[in-house]
Amino acid sequence: MKFSYQWLSELVEDLDIDAKEVSRRITLHTAESEGVEPHGALWAGACPATVLSAEPIPNSHNVKAEVETAAYGRKTVACGAPNCRSGLRTVYVPLGVKKVSGIDSDGMLASMAELGINADHDGIIELTEDIALETDSIIEIDNKSLTHRPDLWGHYGMARELAAILNKPLVDPVSLELLPQGPPQVEVIVEDLALCPRFSAQLFENVTVGDAPVWLQYRLRAIGLNSIGNIVDVTNWLLAELPQPTHAYDADKVQGAIVVRKAKAGEKILALNGEEYSLTIDDLIIADSSGPIGIAGVIGGKGSSIGPETKRIILEAANFNAAAVRKTSSRLKLRTDASMRFEKAQDPENTLRAIARGAELFELVSPGIRSLGGPTDVRAAVKPLPVIDLDFDWLNRKLGRVVEKSEVIGILERLSFTVQGNKVTVPSWRATKDVSIADDLVEEIGRMVGYATIAPIAPAMPVVPPPVNEERLFFNRLRASATQQGFDEVYNYSFISEAQAAKLGISLEAHIRVLNPIASDQSLMRTTLLHGALKNFEDNRRHFGTFRFFEIGKEIHKKSKGLPEEVPHLVAGVYNGHGDGAEGLRELERLMRGYAPACEFRPTDTAHPFEHPLRSAEVWLAAEQIGRLFEFHPNWVEGRAAVLDIDLDKLARLSAGAIRYQPIRRFPASEFDLSILTEPRVPAGTVEAILRAAATTATEKIEFIRDFTLPDGHRSLSFRATVANRERTMTQEEINAERERMIAAISAAGMKLR
Amino acid sequence: MIAEIEALASAALSRIAAAANLDEMEAVRVEVLGRKGTLAEFGKLMGKLSASERVDAGKALNGAKTSLEAAFDIKKTAFESAALNERLQSEWLDLTIPPPGLTPGSLHPLTQIQNEIESLFFSMGFTILDGPEVETEFHNFDALNIPADHPARDMQDTFWLEGGHLLRTHTSPVQVRGMMRLGPPLRMIAPGRVFRNEEVDPSHEHTFYQLEGMMVDRDVSIANLLYFMKTLLSGIFKRDTTVRLRPGFFPFVEPGFELDIECMVCGGAGCPVCKQSGWVELLPCGLVHPNVLRAGGIDPAEFGGFAFGLGLTRLVMMRYLIDDIRWLQSGDLRFLKQF
Ligand SMILES: [Zn+2]
Repeated sequence: MKFSYQWLSELVEDLDIDAKEVSRRITLHTAESEGVEPHGALWAGACPATVLSAEPIPNSHNVKAEVETAAYGRKTVACGAPNCRSGLRTVYVPLGVKKVSGIDSDGMLASMAELGINADHDGIIELTEDIALETDSIIEIDNKSLTHRPDLWGHYGMARELAAILNKPLVDPVSLELLPQGPPQVEVIVEDLALCPRFSAQLFENVTVGDAPVWLQYRLRAIGLNSIGNIVDVTNWLLAELPQPTHAYDADKVQGAIVVRKAKAGEKILALNGEEYSLTIDDLIIADSSGPIGIAGVIGGKGSSIGPETKRIILEAANFNAAAVRKTSSRLKLRTDASMRFEKAQDPENTLRAIARGAELFELVSPGIRSLGGPTDVRAAVKPLPVIDLDFDWLNRKLGRVVEKSEVIGILERLSFTVQGNKVTVPSWRATKDVSIADDLVEEIGRMVGYATIAPIAPAMPVVPPPVNEERLFFNRLRASATQQGFDEVYNYSFISEAQAAKLGISLEAHIRVLNPIASDQSLMRTTLLHGALKNFEDNRRHFGTFRFFEIGKEIHKKSKGLPEEVPHLVAGVYNGHGDGAEGLRELERLMRGYAPACEFRPTDTAHPFEHPLRSAEVWLAAEQIGRLFEFHPNWVEGRAAVLDIDLDKLARLSAGAIRYQPIRRFPASEFDLSILTEPRVPAGTVEAILRAAATTATEKIEFIRDFTLPDGHRSLSFRATVANRERTMTQEEINAERERMIAAISAAGMKLR
Repeated sequence: MIAEIEALASAALSRIAAAANLDEMEAVRVEVLGRKGTLAEFGKLMGKLSASERVDAGKALNGAKTSLEAAFDIKKTAFESAALNERLQSEWLDLTIPPPGLTPGSLHPLTQIQNEIESLFFSMGFTILDGPEVETEFHNFDALNIPADHPARDMQDTFWLEGGHLLRTHTSPVQVRGMMRLGPPLRMIAPGRVFRNEEVDPSHEHTFYQLEGMMVDRDVSIANLLYFMKTLLSGIFKRDTTVRLRPGFFPFVEPGFELDIECMVCGGAGCPVCKQSGWVELLPCGLVHPNVLRAGGIDPAEFGGFAFGLGLTRLVMMRYLIDDIRWLQSGDLRFLKQF
């Protein structure tokens, strides 16, 4: 929202700080200013001038103009405007001498656009009477910081803030004595007073429609509004000043009574912007007997709009329910200056003020205009203004400093609150949404005394150790171990595309869909971190021959009801551009065994299509599968890409539990080796499991020592068993018995000792 | 006999002195001092001497033995140290060659800053909480005093999911979850991933990291909030920081503030980084709105509190002078290996 410094200085008496300082004070006490920009900068030094002669310059679209200026005498300028002609009264701007089209051009003749009046840059300004405008400063306030302040969407509201901050008198631009008097002339029926708490309308006749005066155009242009014509510009002025959105209808195009009602399903309206909108029964409209003539609080209809031939107008100043306006405007994707204000909950008390101010301004822009009778004013029962109990001591405790009661009352009164004892009455324009509880008053006092006046005070906090977030500690241990083993941490997005889902063969239905994705390739929530890993392999293998990475992130899984299940996973990857790929898988095994020494890798013959058919294993811990280890199929990633994918909820749960110390054995242990001959491709884990199953408690440990593949593919696998008795030295017979048990199991499994 | 002993000793001493290596010297030792050595031979002859001669000869014998052993030890030490020295001199190693094997990986800068800030808060008695990334409309908006028709919902472009849920637009939903879980008084933070439906460019991301903080106790004031933020930021930036509060609107706090820190580039004098204002907007904060306390099951008549949101992604970018936010989730190891 743009604020004109000139406008504000008309509303704050004796405003003696410049625009930059206004911007700073507003930022500190009211809302965030994004800065100050000049408007109409060329007016500094500009003066009226008459073109004495205009001669074409050969080989140029410019003309050489001799001008008689009001302030600088005679000047020669190069001018490219098609309307630059002898006898024209226009505006001269001194800019110094510049070579243009081969002549020394001293200054320039300016267009309306260059002078900040409107968008017209087709030619230089043509004056019928001399004008002099002053350069304005525009203070831009961040709209987000005005979300809660319906009153600050106009200059009068901001002027009130400024007057309160500076302790200066506020000038009310509205004189209610100018409100037309007499019987109402416009028939208005409001069907739902909750959605339209107030509807005021005034009839005017003897209207002349034409251009708005330059001062009005200039002011609107300064705050970013385009001039449409004298009547419409007045409505925009009211919106930017009070800030009451209003609308002017051509009274002769409105048939019968004005009815404020819900639209019928499918009812259509051609709006002022030339678009046709199809309405629903949730939309509130303004209608006459012929149908909709406006979408309430959003936009007027084309059919009843002002045209050059308009003679009588109806000025509507109404108040609409904020939520309803917001709903309609977002459904129609139509945000207008009116809807932006109404959805902040405007003050119903403002409608008649707008009509009084409108009547005054109409007389300035359309001489001879007359009001007919007085305003029609249909409204819901007036709501009493909220009264807040304010405990002054409590206020000081909230602030953390003492503000004298008299100062509190002074601040509140400058902001138009009324204070009686400890009862604070909220002004109507703050009562619609903004201020309702004592905490809101803490803000009013705090911001006005200035938060800089509050000295920091250490909070009195009990000294207690906070509960520890075990999950985070656990994740950080995993991270530390991964980085120690050479893995770099990556973060990937939670969004994936349908193509990514298809690439890993996951059905689209398994994913939670984003209803309004930023791009079509980010429309699903990831159900696995492998998509990110695939991308990390692809992206990084262009730069590195070998690399390792890991991510800890959440898989998001659909549930039939309630919030989805978010499962933390760790995915780690090792890439080698060359080689047999074994080392990558081994590194991941090592990483995993570091996390859970008791984990097992169980070969699986149900490899996914994206996995190397013979290089995938399930990771098991304490009789539960907690993840998977595999190498990507070369059709998915070129080179050797090994991946570990672990469910961290399971890992955390299964690896928890206190460690219990085992006393160091006092009697010596014995070892024996077994070399076993197996069929081709029998995993060592299978053989080891057989040995373990055969072992008694006397076996402390069975270790894999080495493997060896015979030319015919048969394997020789060697293990070393350590046996011991905690109570005494084992006899040779006992050791042999243990060994025999294992050998028997091996034979029973169809294998041989080598 | 004494003269003979002395002559022998003197000859042996010369031979020890002349020995070129340990072996030569060992030969002398065995020959003279050994069990069957020449000195031992003299010892055998002692029995034939008279008692008084025996005493003198014994002295001479012991004297010779002691001086030979000492000479031998000295020379032996010299040989050993020469040998050691020779070994050391042959063992030059180029320590500038990088070691073979793995270099450790790096933690993501967001993890690093998050850990750092978490431990800072933990040291101040704050519990670290987590919340879901997919949230209900209630927790993300309604419980935070942002009803359905509130224009504040437009401030946060929301990703809506099928099933009526949404991706949390801030970490603030953990406020209500935290109050429910911990009860008053409480101190908590909740760092995590948040989502906004925004076009991605060098300074905007749809996925970023925030840290929500909240303290609830009796009589919590703006002055307390100021103190706390100043302490916290001095901890984060590892220097004394100057902060200011100015009005800011966030429906879940009342009053609400934008907290600015004095520009660290220009020290407040004004520069392009702070758009000449001397201040850099850092974080939103405020006193917890009574409606939010109620939504968290806490009686606002009894307890109050403050809350704030810290942009972790923004902090990372500030600390490492990262000029394009998209690097953080690029997975590009050329970027990540720098941390
Ligand atoms: Zn600066």
